[in-house]
Amino acid sequence: MLAYIINLVTLISINAVLAITLNFIMGYAGIFSMAHAVFFGVGAYTAAYFALNVSASFFLAVPVAMLAAAVLSLVLALPALRVRGEYFVAASLGLQVLGVTIFSEWKGFTGGLGGLIGIPPVEFFGYGLSSNTQYMVLALACLLLVVLVTTVLLRSSFGRNLKAIRDSESAAHAFGKNVATIKTLSVAISAALTAVAGALYAFYLGFINVESFMLDTSVLLMAMVIIGGTGTLLGPIVGAMLLMLLPSLFSYMWFLPATEIGSIQQIAYGAAMILLMIYRPGGLVGASKKQVAK
Amino acid sequence: MLLLQLLINGVQVGALYALIAVGFSLIFGSTKVFHFAHGATFTIAAYIFYYLYSVSEAHWILAVLAATAGAVAFGVFMDRCIYAPIQRHEGSFFTVFVASLGAGIIVQNLVGMIFGRGFVSVTTPLSRSIELLPGLYVAPLSGIAILCAIVFFGALQIFLMRTNVGMGLRALSENPELVRVYGLSPRRLSTIVFALGSLLVIPAAIITAASSGLNPAIAHHIMLISLAATIVGGVGSLRGAACAGLLLGMSENLALMYLGPQWSEAVTFIVLFLFILFRPSGFFGRAIAS
Repeated sequence: MLAYIINLVTLISINAVLAITLNFIMGYAGIFSMAHAVFFGVGAYTAAYFALNVSASFFLAVPVAMLAAAVLSLVLALPALRVRGEYFVAASLGLQVLGVTIFSEWKGFTGGLGGLIGIPPVEFFGYGLSSNTQYMVLALACLLLVVLVTTVLLRSSFGRNLKAIRDSESAAHAFGKNVATIKTLSVAISAALTAVAGALYAFYLGFINVESFMLDTSVLLMAMVIIGGTGTLLGPIVGAMLLMLLPSLFSYMWFLPATEIGSIQQIAYGAAMILLMIYRPGGLVGASKKQVAK
Repeated sequence: MLLLQLLINGVQVGALYALIAVGFSLIFGSTKVFHFAHGATFTIAAYIFYYLYSVSEAHWILAVLAATAGAVAFGVFMDRCIYAPIQRHEGSFFTVFVASLGAGIIVQNLVGMIFGRGFVSVTTPLSRSIELLPGLYVAPLSGIAILCAIVFFGALQIFLMRTNVGMGLRALSENPELVRVYGLSPRRLSTIVFALGSLLVIPAAIITAASSGLNPAIAHHIMLISLAATIVGGVGSLRGAACAGLLLGMSENLALMYLGPQWSEAVTFIVLFLFILFRPSGFFGRAIAS
């Protein structure tokens, strides 16, 4: 039972990091990315590849993964700078599809459909983490760090610039803000922090394959942010907890067929998204009548 | 000969993509609703046809009619029961998109639970390919696909240009406020648009079921095509969406000369990406770049 809870806490922390980073661009920069799982995947694959071939040190593998994701995020930022929200959804959906194809075809780097196995445990100054409890502490520490980094960033002038762009791009431009740079930076920061979650995930499981980085994951993350509340600090964490606890909750309901729990979970959050949008578009944490991002 | 074969396949797929894209583009252009559940409409129509025709072995006309009823009912339901209440308090792009995405998720999983998550296909007497020239195989279904596309576009064009309701729809895409001033109801027009847009998907859904087969996750592919074609063709331009659908179908098939079939969606994305970068207003569209 304790092992089960430890596993759940670790996975919730990893997903909360993903939700927070998605919220960073969705809720504050107004960029609706359906390709978040791609950056998660890039982080995981890069960290795993680096750990398998060079070194499993946390202080080397994680920065490399962050750098890779940040560089790749420029691919996403490029169309985001050109077009408005609607069009960007299409571009990110395409990137997600392309990402999955590359993850499953580039066998030298990602191991193809079979994935990468035998990823060594992460090391701190030569000391390898072995127990799941240690991973839980590490995941919680990373979550705390990401929360801190995003909060500090959002409270700074950079965060205010972002919100200004979200609310009115032309107004921000008229006030002399460099819209392009700020948007690109926000996407790169979000991607880099996402890669942290990816690296953690790869080290924790010791095995990754393309299944974890498909469109379903991107949609799940989007649902976490939306259900919790876009553009709020607590929202993504609440959303991640709720959606991660949901499957275990359903498995206690004996009358539900076990093979359909995945589907029932997805139907539940699909329905939650519709109902929230009709009655409370700000999400659970957000103010009920607050205007959400356009 | 391979080139010719791929070209013919490309035109068939392209004609179906054009129908799907025009349906989405019509809805998006005139009501500004980002109907992400358009893919779900496709899934519903295709699975109803599959179930009635292949599983219960009903007559094909009955199956087509039931698929039509199902798709149109779903489209109108989305408009009336989900988009209308949202637009009553605030209709930002984001809120509508999320609700639509939620509906798409529900439909995909329900279909998966009822019909299974695997791949299904419908065999009809028309699906079998005939060797026209040595090494060139064409199914009668390709002809039907192209014919359907032409007939539906012709009918849509006449409807939009010649009838009062059609003119009302075109006015709605220009200025909903003015439509109200002239005593027409934008709500009623929007319901008609959803019914029409859903109707356009049906031939594509049925022919796809009969030629290349279905799975519950096909909705994502349909959405990628609709979005890509709408943007490549230029938002608000039905002619553009149709041409873009054809272009995407052709490029997807011609790419098979060099790449494996698993790359077909990647080709769609690359076409879309190039358009967003170099010509964000599309073939015929107005400028949309911010």
